[in-house]
Amino acid sequence: MSAISLSSTEISPTSMVQAAGVSKWFGDLVAVSDVSFGIGAGVTALLGPNGAGKSTLLRIICGLARPSKGTLTILGKDPRRDVAVLGRIGMAPQQETLWDQLSGLEFVQLAAQLHGLSHPVEAARGAIAMVELDADDERSLSTYSKGMRQRIKLAQAIVHDPLVVVLDEPLTGLDPRQRRAMIALFHRLSDAGKCVIVSSHVLDEVERFGSRVLVIAQGRLVAEGDFHKIRDLMDDRPLRISIRSNQPRTLAIALLECDVISGCELQDPDALVVSTSDVMSFRRAVALAARDHQVSLLEIRPLDDDLESVFRYLVGQ
Amino acid sequence: MNFHIYKVLLRRQMSPARLLGMAALSGVAILLGVLARTADNTVEFATQSTGIFGINVLVPFMALSLGSAALGDLVEDRTLVYVWLRPVPRYTIATAAVAAVISVVGSFAIAIMTAAAAITEVHDLILATVIATALAVVAYSGLFVALGLRFERSLLIGLGYIAIWELLLSRLGDWFARLSVRSYPMSVLADATGVEMRLADRAVVASYVVPVVIGLVAVVYTSWHLTRTEID
Repeated sequence: MSAISLSSTEISPTSMVQAAGVSKWFGDLVAVSDVSFGIGAGVTALLGPNGAGKSTLLRIICGLARPSKGTLTILGKDPRRDVAVLGRIGMAPQQETLWDQLSGLEFVQLAAQLHGLSHPVEAARGAIAMVELDADDERSLSTYSKGMRQRIKLAQAIVHDPLVVVLDEPLTGLDPRQRRAMIALFHRLSDAGKCVIVSSHVLDEVERFGSRVLVIAQGRLVAEGDFHKIRDLMDDRPLRISIRSNQPRTLAIALLECDVISGCELQDPDALVVSTSDVMSFRRAVALAARDHQVSLLEIRPLDDDLESVFRYLVGQ
Repeated sequence: MNFHIYKVLLRRQMSPARLLGMAALSGVAILLGVLARTADNTVEFATQSTGIFGINVLVPFMALSLGSAALGDLVEDRTLVYVWLRPVPRYTIATAAVAAVISVVGSFAIAIMTAAAAITEVHDLILATVIATALAVVAYSGLFVALGLRFERSLLIGLGYIAIWELLLSRLGDWFARLSVRSYPMSVLADATGVEMRLADRAVVASYVVPVVIGLVAVVYTSWHLTRTEID
């Protein structure tokens, strides 16, 4: 499986995060396989199903894990070897566990202190406000809801104004309004020149993160680049279309005879799903077939014009 | 040492269950002190009970309970990332963890064992108890913080170490005794009171130096391991 690439994977001088042939295995299990990419400023979505290797890749990016093979640099430095570069990284890990005996302000303030900020309390208050939590809430983190935990994790990740912000499934547990607010925050960070890497397996989220996507499946990078361009690239690949009519069998035979579809499947009593690589010819053929065989067309609807279908195609599901 | 990490780790040490356990151990120590006063040979009884209970039981078990949890709990609940992913030298994390354990175990064990020694009114024993307990605390705290970071089942491994190595194998001969942490602080006690104690025949200088070296080596190992380990 080779990655669909819409941009160069050569090391770019503007890349803040640069991976070259990165692999990671645990015994016989290959978690990440020969992944290369460069990420600059802006929001980049790391997309893939659960178990695809996203979290492992994010851990490698932050230096939490060592690549078994290949190199990964942040701002030109190896985060495993150069402790100073950790000051330019902010990470919100996936796990929910926090230091539950601390309050939200204490937790974020500790992060600010460890980053050596001169005014840690003010910085912590600012970061907490950015994620729409109350810095004066003195309750311990053990009382926080899942959504509040997600937001306080984000606050500790951005309190020191890092250049690279790595967020592992940051929208899990947030309600729709909070999700919109967090996505808006990602874009504000992006507009401020930060490199924001956000992982998700929820496809409708990713579409709103931004246009740049890295798709990872089974540990391999299967696509990277602008999401819409990835979709365009796929136009010459089979497209699935649902056709509802009063005579789906007749229509299927007619379309197969025209040689404009590569496959068809009868679903509901009145629904036919066809695959085609040539949409324009298909449109003409379906109209002619319907007229010639006196078939009433009730609905023609593309099935894979959304992100989920792109994802499904890319990961081979 | 990083003072911010020290403060947070110190706070994590103070769980109600641990405080309760420490209170129970205090009761035993004070009881031994009272019993020593009524013994036929107060010096002998007081020295032996300080060594056997204080150095062999109280300090190692407390250091194990707190030390193995200091960084081990952070690994287990996956919150080490909130310390590790900061631009701080790894040795500052290791020293903060060991210092937090020493602060709790040391202040408690020294206070209790010194109080028990004071009750016996064996004056030579009081200062020796302070020094011996402090030396044992430094060595065991360092060891068990490293153990907690290195192994998942550190509490069980530590219990096995105390029971098998410190309490059993160390009796097999001088070579084994030299590798037993407790033999050094016990030697400080024996040297101060003149009471003969099992394993307490280390040279004076070694009695003072070796536990500190063990603590330092443990900090170095913990720092090294923090640079090598992968954080979940």
